[in-house]
Amino acid sequence: MFNVGYRITRSEADAEDVLQEAFISAFRNLDSYRGDATFGAWLKRIVVNKALNALNKKKHESIPDDDEQWDIAVEESTTEYREDLTIERVKQGIEKLPDGYRTVLSLYLLEGYDHQEIGEILGISESTSKSQLNRAKGKLKELLRA
Amino acid sequence: MKDQLDDFIQKNRSGFDDKEPSEKVWKNIESSLAFGTKRGWNAVVWWRAAAIIFMALSGYLLIPKEATKLQTSELAANEFNDVEAFYVQQISEKVELIDGFQKNEGLNGFTQDFKQLEAMYMILKEEMKSRPTEKVKDALVLNLLVRINLLNQQLYKLDQEYDKKEKKEKEV
Repeated sequence: MFNVGYRITRSEADAEDVLQEAFISAFRNLDSYRGDATFGAWLKRIVVNKALNALNKKKHESIPDDDEQWDIAVEESTTEYREDLTIERVKQGIEKLPDGYRTVLSLYLLEGYDHQEIGEILGISESTSKSQLNRAKGKLKELLRA
Repeated sequence: MKDQLDDFIQKNRSGFDDKEPSEKVWKNIESSLAFGTKRGWNAVVWWRAAAIIFMALSGYLLIPKEATKLQTSELAANEFNDVEAFYVQQISEKVELIDGFQKNEGLNGFTQDFKQLEAMYMILKEEMKSRPTEKVKDALVLNLLVRINLLNQQLYKLDQEYDKKEKKEKEV
C-alpha cells in the first residue's frame, strides 16, 4: 500500500501520511464496506484516492505543470526499448513522468486497474485513459533512452 | 495490446514495491484507533478491522530486512507449537459450529476476511519455518487470536439470529 501511495505522490512523507489516513479512515468507515470487492481491494482504493487528493493539493500550491505540452502523438505500436530495461531505470523513468501520465501508467501497469476503473478513479472517460496510457508509455520510452 | 514494458513490469512486479513506511505510521494508526470508535469492543466490525491491521502488519513483517539478526529460533518455534495446537483446535471447533449455522449463506464479508486471515497464516507459517523470530511468532499468535474472536463474534451474531427465528416461529 505504501508503494501505491508513493508512486502517485512521489514523496515518502506524503505517502506515509496517505497510508496513515487511509487505514484510519477505512477503520472508521467500516460500515461502508459492502463486500463486493475484497477488503484489500477496498483499502487500496482508499489509498489511491487519498494519494490523488494529496497530489492535487500540491499541484495547486506550486507552479502549474505543463502537462499539456507532452501531448506528442504516439502511434499504437509495440514500443521497442533500445537499452535493457532494469527495474531501477523503469522506476526512475516513471517517477519523472508528469503527474497525469504517471498516474494513469501506475494505475494500469502496476496497480492493475482497467481503463474503466481508472476512468472512475480519475473522473475521465475510458478512451481518455487509453490514450493517456499510450502517451505515457511513449514519454517513458523517451525518458528511458536518456 | 501488450508490449515489452508490460511484460517486463509483470515479470518484475515485486521489485517495484521495495519501499517501506517507517514505524511511526503504525504507531500513529494504533493510537488513532485506540481513541476512535464509539462501538464497543464486542462488535464484529471491530475485529474485522483488527484483522486488516493485522494483515497489514504481517505484510510489513514479511518484507525481508537485510540487517536483522535471527533471534532465538528453536525456543520461539517450540513455544509456539504448543500455543498453536491449542488455538487451532479452538478454531476448528468454532468453524464447524458456524458451518452448521450458515450452510446457506453466500460468501459474505466475514468469510472473505476469514479466508484472507487463513491465507496470511499459511504465509506466516512458512516464514516461521525458514526465519523463525519472535516477531513472526507474535504475528502467528495474533492471527489465531483475531480469528478466534472473529469466530466468536460471528457465532454470537448467528446465535441471536437463530433465537429471533425461533421466537417468530413460536408466535405463528
